[in-house]
Amino acid sequence: MEINKIMESGLMETYVMGIATEEEVQKVLSLKKEYPAFKDALEQLEYDMEVLAQSMGIEPPVDALAKIELEINEIQRQNQAIQTTVEAEYSYNKTHQENKRGKYIEVESESNQMRVNKAWKWAFIAVFVLGKIFLAFAIYFYLENRQVKEQLQELKIELKQKIR
Amino acid sequence: MFKAVSNNLSAEPKDIRWFYDQYAPMLLGYINGIVQDQQKSEDHLVVILTSYIKDVAILPEKSRLNIWLELRQYAQSKLTLYTAKDHQLNLNQSVDNGRLDLLDDLQKRIFCAVYYHGKTIQYLAATIGCNESEIRNQLRLSIDKMRRASGN
Repeated sequence: MEINKIMESGLMETYVMGIATEEEVQKVLSLKKEYPAFKDALEQLEYDMEVLAQSMGIEPPVDALAKIELEINEIQRQNQAIQTTVEAEYSYNKTHQENKRGKYIEVESESNQMRVNKAWKWAFIAVFVLGKIFLAFAIYFYLENRQVKEQLQELKIELKQKIR
Repeated sequence: MFKAVSNNLSAEPKDIRWFYDQYAPMLLGYINGIVQDQQKSEDHLVVILTSYIKDVAILPEKSRLNIWLELRQYAQSKLTLYTAKDHQLNLNQSVDNGRLDLLDDLQKRIFCAVYYHGKTIQYLAATIGCNESEIRNQLRLSIDKMRRASGN
């Protein structure tokens, strides 16, 4: 059968030894789901590898566990100290804020500023430039008009003098 | 394959003791196979177990089969200083090889390179000068030999 061939191909051993490629890992996981016989064989192999590791085990020195527990207690103590500091800081900030609230009366004030979308910038520039152009025209026509009026006045005076 | 779970050192002292009793001898044997020095291995054992307990949740109810596989890979990742070097297997190791003595030289070389140093099939095929399927086959045969010796 195909599955027996796969089981004898060394795929399971590669997987259990932790050197399988990503593709092989995916294949093993899919076969494990699909074939109960494959799953059983794989679990048996994993168990046997553990038994093998036990047979190659070495009794640790008597003080090893004490050292580990000491290290872990030290880390736990540091973690607790950090947590206490964080909590103390949080509690200080909270109290500080509450004190601040107690000292000052919060007043709701209205801002006299307004927010305008940036797109309006170009419209304001255009209005400003057009305003300047209209002003220049207005001044020009005002002066022109005044000059014409003066000339007209002079002509009227000249005409009156000629009639006399 | 290996997933570290943030633990925040929530493990109870009894869990730590259970874990130690269960895996410390296996791990020390494994580390000694890599480091080849008893004193250094013992030092590494303390460091690796502490860091594993710190980084990975150790729960007795967790599937037992995966724990050893994870722990072995974790230890291997912490010993890259030794495993990254080009593997030269010392066949006359002073440590007790247990069932490794059942293997012939090539099988022992392949098994130790994979088991202790995490060398890939491709690497071994290139180093030894065999094709990959031959390496796979030798690895499988070496594991089978040791399993049979355990009565499995």
